[in-house]
Amino acid sequence: MPEFLTPALAYIGGAVFAPFIVSERLRQIFMLTIPVLALTVFWNLPEGTYAAFNYMNMHFGLLRVDKLSRIFGLIFSLAAFISILYAWHVKDKLQQITTLLYAGAAIGAVFAADLVTLFVFWEGTALASVFLIWARRTPGAYHTGMRYLIIQIGSGVILLTGVVLQYQATGSLAFNAMKLESSGTWAIFIAFGIKCAFPLLHNWLQDSYPAATVTGAVTLSSFTTKLAIYALARGFPGTELLIYIGAVMTLFPIFFAAIENNLRRVLAYSINNQLGFMVVGIGIGTPLALNGTVAHAFCHILYKSLLFMSVGAVMYRTGTSKASELGGLYKSMPLTMIFCVIGALSISAFPLFSGFVSKSLILSAAAGQGQFWIWLVLVIASVGVLEHSGIKIPFFTFFAHDSGKRVQEAPTHMLVAMGIAAFFCIGIGVYPQALYAMLPYDASYVPYTTSHVVTQLQLLFFALFAFALLMRFGLYPPEFRSTNLDFDWVYRRALPSLTRRVADLVERTWHGVTRLALYRLDRFLVLIYRAHGPQGPLARTWPTGSMVLWIAVLLGMTLILTYL
Amino acid sequence: MTETRKKDQATMPLLARLLLWTDGPRAILGIIVVIGLICAALAGTDLLHHRHVNFDVEETPFIYGLFGFVVYAVIVFLAKGLRRLISRPEDYYGPHATDSESEFAAGTEQAQETDHA
Repeated sequence: MPEFLTPALAYIGGAVFAPFIVSERLRQIFMLTIPVLALTVFWNLPEGTYAAFNYMNMHFGLLRVDKLSRIFGLIFSLAAFISILYAWHVKDKLQQITTLLYAGAAIGAVFAADLVTLFVFWEGTALASVFLIWARRTPGAYHTGMRYLIIQIGSGVILLTGVVLQYQATGSLAFNAMKLESSGTWAIFIAFGIKCAFPLLHNWLQDSYPAATVTGAVTLSSFTTKLAIYALARGFPGTELLIYIGAVMTLFPIFFAAIENNLRRVLAYSINNQLGFMVVGIGIGTPLALNGTVAHAFCHILYKSLLFMSVGAVMYRTGTSKASELGGLYKSMPLTMIFCVIGALSISAFPLFSGFVSKSLILSAAAGQGQFWIWLVLVIASVGVLEHSGIKIPFFTFFAHDSGKRVQEAPTHMLVAMGIAAFFCIGIGVYPQALYAMLPYDASYVPYTTSHVVTQLQLLFFALFAFALLMRFGLYPPEFRSTNLDFDWVYRRALPSLTRRVADLVERTWHGVTRLALYRLDRFLVLIYRAHGPQGPLARTWPTGSMVLWIAVLLGMTLILTYL
Repeated sequence: MTETRKKDQATMPLLARLLLWTDGPRAILGIIVVIGLICAALAGTDLLHHRHVNFDVEETPFIYGLFGFVVYAVIVFLAKGLRRLISRPEDYYGPHATDSESEFAAGTEQAQETDHA
């Protein structure tokens, strides 16, 4: 029996205890030990389910250790460590506590052996992470956080519905591979899809991450969406629909990212695109493809957090993350620039960098299955990645037009955090066997063949050449301050506007009908008043003789009518 | 070199000063030429090396380079077209978004200095 029921307990315990440590430095050191401590809980455990128990005739398991959960547990622990180190300067206890709770919930969900435990931690990630947005403490951040929370909690509610339906249908709560055959599994699939930012369900990502704090965005980039990837890989491997969903995910964000001015939003679109590769891998579902998804999630967390950290460091020093306001920063922050370029080379899948050895597994799996069109989309998307994350981010931040901003290099702790991520980006690229050895399924793959290296370099260098020429001839779209509409316009503008119009119409109709009714009622009352009022004919005092006369007339008419 | 530029360079870290050669139109032209030469060399390998392929189309010489170049340009031009459709002022969503807010509140150095003041 392990010391802790689940590694999440280490984080939760840490979050409870940390605020009581008065010394800031001691608190930071304490927080840094938490991911290491949590890692020791599961790393050396033999495969199996621990902390399992029955409650109300349902079987629960808090700690399922197998190759899939172990590698996600490892990368989440590493991401938590890097995020905490990067935020060494942050004194805001709210952010410190919620970072621990968020990372803990994500790791707890990864090790969940049953769907109820998964649900609890699933909602835990939503509740804890929203504080990293609210920590900005502005009206805009409050509204953004509310939108984020509604969508994330919505995902959890749909998941719970699915869990209940699944339990009713199968009598089991075990979180294993499922098929899209019942309403229960569909609900679970959609819940995973929301967190995975499927097309049209994706906008929470681009909306919320750029609204988070400098350090919060780094933390956010690592957990939520990759937890969804884990959940899909565990629950729906080989689901064909995912191939097409993933292909769309890789493609559409590249156009939005190319024209986005907020660099953290560019990175959020880039997350969407990278998730697409992973989703395709899950959809293909072969051991090679699934290994590709896991490897890519592993590498992606590292290079994406590296990119978020470098843009965050620039934002920390200059006060902005908008490309239109930046440029020429290599003159002030050369080390940050080098780390950013390492992240850019990794995400673009240059040989000797991590993306090259992970993404190619998915492309090879697609090609191996004869999925020509999917493979083609992934190659196009790879050029798109180079465009927005490989070139745009480092070029417009550190080179291009000199913004004249002269600031200090990033603080030491940020440089160390970026250095650790960069070390792994290069280390995995140079020695991929270390990563491959941890992958969950049996599939051999050799990334460094002459054909692969040459074709990849051709693709990337020619695309780079296209960029250079477009810049030289002034054809590359300039950066300027703007908001670009996306599908969220539907629920942020169109639906509220439609609701207002409908409400206005109902209100005006109601007013019209009420006024008409009141007018008619008034007229009626006037008539009554005229007849029965003090001056009305019916209220007058009539002489008895005239009444007798009228009765005689009435009787006379009745008599005539009777005999007619 | 003007006095201001000299002063500016003196404040830069050593690593930045080593990269100053990248500034200026001649250096940019030089970089473009170097990238072009690398592309030419990579394209040349197609004539020397027969690659292992999954699909017939991959056997076409220079296909990867051509594909990378064309797709990149198409992405950029399509994105420019998309911008005409979807670009709005930064304050489009008003106070319900952080887009037009000061970014200092996101925990930047300036915000922290204000806090400590």
